[in-house]
Amino acid sequence: MKIDKVMDQVTHMVLALFIVVWGFIAVIIVWGSWRFTRQHGFLSPILSSRWNPLTGHFGLASFILGSLTVTVLAVVIVSPWSLGLSVLGARILQGSWQRYFVRFLTVFVSLPSVLYGWWGLTVIVPGIRRLTGSSGYGVLSASLVVALMILPTFSILSLKAIRQVPESYVEGSVGLGASEDQTLWHIILPTARPRLAQAALIAIARALGETIAVQMVIGGQFGRPGLLHPAATLTTQLLTDLPLLPPGTAGHFVLDYMAFLLMLLMTVIVGLEMRMGE
Amino acid sequence: MGQWDDNAAPDIEVRQLSVWYNQSAALQDINLKVAAGQILAVIGPSGCGKSTFLRVLNRMIERFSSVRVKGMVRIGPFNVLDEHVDVTRLRRAVGMVFQHPNPFPMTIFDNVAYGPRIFGIRSPTQLRKTVEDSLKLAALWDEVRGKLRRGANTLSGGQQQRLCIARALAVNPRVLLLDEPTASLDPVSAAKIEELIVQLKSQYTMVIVTHNLQQAARISDMVAFFEQGRLVEMGNTQDMFTAPRERRTEEFLTGRFD
Repeated sequence: MKIDKVMDQVTHMVLALFIVVWGFIAVIIVWGSWRFTRQHGFLSPILSSRWNPLTGHFGLASFILGSLTVTVLAVVIVSPWSLGLSVLGARILQGSWQRYFVRFLTVFVSLPSVLYGWWGLTVIVPGIRRLTGSSGYGVLSASLVVALMILPTFSILSLKAIRQVPESYVEGSVGLGASEDQTLWHIILPTARPRLAQAALIAIARALGETIAVQMVIGGQFGRPGLLHPAATLTTQLLTDLPLLPPGTAGHFVLDYMAFLLMLLMTVIVGLEMRMGE
Repeated sequence: MGQWDDNAAPDIEVRQLSVWYNQSAALQDINLKVAAGQILAVIGPSGCGKSTFLRVLNRMIERFSSVRVKGMVRIGPFNVLDEHVDVTRLRRAVGMVFQHPNPFPMTIFDNVAYGPRIFGIRSPTQLRKTVEDSLKLAALWDEVRGKLRRGANTLSGGQQQRLCIARALAVNPRVLLLDEPTASLDPVSAAKIEELIVQLKSQYTMVIVTHNLQQAARISDMVAFFEQGRLVEMGNTQDMFTAPRERRTEEFLTGRFD
């Protein structure tokens, strides 16, 4: 009886702590963004690409474009790859090999992103440089690094999505004379589609939020569009300009606004993901 | 062993069939024949090898790893266990209905059209005709006409099972395998399925695995009693239920079974 009451209070306090901390973050970002947009407007910073915070130019368009390009490209690169791995892990490997396979992928999920960035710096950047004659730093390298980073998560989630398809559907299809391939395309993947889309959205969220691995290979310059040119994303520019615009300086609130935009994008993705789950 | 209508050529012939999972034998030395257009009911206690037997007939058994099959099975023109047999054509000729209705998560129409589409039929007119004919054969047409674009999951359990039968019939099989097709249904739905099975009898050879002895008595022509992977006794249904030759069969049929 007594222990129940204590547990009850502990769980309530944990929840309260969570709400307070989360609310604190949200309030700071929203308040800073409000300060920023009151002065510079809500839309005009998004539509302009002229960025020079020290002279009062806060165009974020190239960072938003950078974020979207890196994310979309990474997901396009990684989707067929993940789908292939998940079909392998869920339908082709037998018995305990399935378990080993998931364990193998989990190892790559747990690698910190700085290692992916390091790998990008030592393998992808020189590789792209040799292949294209560019500096090697840029959107393409960043997309490849992010693609590789989200591959294991995306694959494991897709694998679980495919495993959720009831074996009775598979038996029904195979029992009619359909081959395993036909069953995969006509029964398994369509049935798993909502959960596969959820997996993709989680991968997109991870790609959009990734900072350090992208920063290591994207080059940090901006202004020249193109996959092979150095660029910046919302997250990398936030990181770059933190020391430049400490609290109290004139342009500081643009950082809050950038964080706010990221939160907004994430909220859209999470909202879509929850709708898929229904 | 076993009596069948000698005038009809046996449609299913099983000789010295044995099946092992890993090292343990699931079926040992099964011999039996089923004449065309007859219903064979396979009965026996749980784990006696009934389902294994059924799954050998359309080679669904080989989907399990570490299974070994020996012997000869012939269904119509198919030498079933021959490794060169076209499994797709075999399974098309030998339809299967499962214990739990397993319609695909798609419309009623697409469920029935699934098999024909897999075999390359694209013409909408032809598909519509096949779907209608199959649903009529499965005694479901009157209940679903005009609702073919609805999801199969909107149907009741019994309707779903008849849909699964329609789906199997749509590829024009000669043999139907029924794995406890009424076990998960309420009595009224089960009665409808039984009635349907009897109606379909003249057109298809059927093997039905059932736990329901009354059902076996009502609908089958022949009964095979399996125990511990062996065929204890097989005979025509009336003889089996009134005058079984084996003591074990009698004990099982009268419920004095340990």
